Amino acid sequence: MREACWLVALVAAAPVLAAAQCDAPGAKVESDRVVVVYRTVPAKLAVGQHFTVEARVCAKGAGPAPTALRVDADMPAHRHGMNYRAKVSAKGDGRYVAEGLLFHMPGHWRLLFDVDGGGRTERLAADLTLE
Amino acid sequence: MRARLLLAGALVAAGAPASELIVFEPQEIRRIVSHGPWPQPVLRDPSNRASGNPAAIALGARLFFDARLSANGSVACATCHVPARAWTDGRPRAIGLSELDRNTPSILNAGLSRWFGWDGGADSIWSQGLRAMLDPREMGAGPALVAGVVRADPALACLHAAAFGAGAAQRDDTQVMVDAAKSIAAFVATLGSGRTPFDDFRDALARGDRAAAARYPLAAQRGAKIFAGKGNCSVCHFGPGFTNGEFHEVGVPYALGAGRVDPGRHGGIKRVQADPFNLLGKFNDDASGASATKTRHVEMQHANFGQFKVPSLRNVALTAPYMHDGRLATLRDVVRHYSELDMERIHVHGEQLLRPLQLTPGESEDLVAFLESLSDPGARVEPAPTQGISRCDR
Repeated sequence: MREACWLVALVAAAPVLAAAQCDAPGAKVESDRVVVVYRTVPAKLAVGQHFTVEARVCAKGAGPAPTALRVDADMPAHRHGMNYRAKVSAKGDGRYVAEGLLFHMPGHWRLLFDVDGGGRTERLAADLTLE
Repeated sequence: MRARLLLAGALVAAGAPASELIVFEPQEIRRIVSHGPWPQPVLRDPSNRASGNPAAIALGARLFFDARLSANGSVACATCHVPARAWTDGRPRAIGLSELDRNTPSILNAGLSRWFGWDGGADSIWSQGLRAMLDPREMGAGPALVAGVVRADPALACLHAAAFGAGAAQRDDTQVMVDAAKSIAAFVATLGSGRTPFDDFRDALARGDRAAAARYPLAAQRGAKIFAGKGNCSVCHFGPGFTNGEFHEVGVPYALGAGRVDPGRHGGIKRVQADPFNLLGKFNDDASGASATKTRHVEMQHANFGQFKVPSLRNVALTAPYMHDGRLATLRDVVRHYSELDMERIHVHGEQLLRPLQLTPGESEDLVAFLESLSDPGARVEPAPTQGISRCDR
């Protein structure tokens, strides 16, 4: 059952939120259709320490309503991802919490947000560098 | 702090007298400084209620050296983890009740690790201890044997009661065996290595003390520059412990002969997820569940096949032979391995981290000099007898 939960990164549908509701403080990544505002806990990331991502997902303009979020990360230059799979929980109102992330090397990481909505998935990436 | 490091970098890079202190780029200095400070504090293990408990540490110290915990009474933890050999055994592959497939890792500084064993098949020191106790090739013990030893020896039974609050007679065999493993883990967590010549150099760079930094041998300085610079070794051998605590494939063959292979981390994840003594199980004393985060979220990937844990480089000159199967006899062999890396051995679909370093003979010697400077001479010293509990020593 626990494994099944891990595999279900596709999380319950979230209601439509206007972009204005994604004006809350936090880092922001966006496309033509979607906005993700997020913060990490702890705020300052360190190599080898688990962290959580708190995110809010909003539609932008007349874009389709986001229905689910998955969170992952990779190091493009090294061509590898994390060794841990984040578990994403929907908290309602377009809010999500992703737990269990860990960056195991210093360098350039991309925090990846896959947002489902309108029958397609859109990937947004935030660049982070750890020393 | 960052400003101070940059300042130190500027000082060294700008005006270093080449005869004493070579030029380091600011990024090289930041990386070298990231390998400290040392020693690091070892925090109490929340999964182990015996962690830091003096009675448990005394019990663990005795059990660690007690061969009665093996099936035929011939193998103790200390058979492979020999104090005078920096807590390893000097053999290519460990020999317990039979020969194993892997080299014995040192247990010094184990309290700083995330995973245990070359494959990370254990998620705590105590579950790693249980793995060794129960493996028929290592100690071949079982709950009844271990519990019987603890119950039958008055001093051990007394320490057990002092540490866990209930006599061994009142706890079932499996629980007493877990208590024994947690006591051994409490002891092992006290085994940290001390400062090294590198640490003095690192600290001098951190505070911008050129005169003190210049006392570090020139060959080791040049080796440190390779390690933190073009060698990019710091990426995996990261931080004060010189390991990122994770797993990588480094072009070491994992075929064992006769159609057998060592799956490395791939097998380790399977093992830890199936282990009844893992941190997701009922023997974890951490009610918050936070200590099990790694076990809950670790992900099996195809690339894990043939990956092995990045070993700490602290005391590396004292722990030959090298690599997960002990195939390389000397540090020079290890440096040659990375200098002449056979890229054909690296997974095509794996991560892209390594390339042959193509070091000159002089650079290779410099890198060896650097690695030799990471050892604490005290790492081979037998620990002082652990203070027991007086009422148990009668």
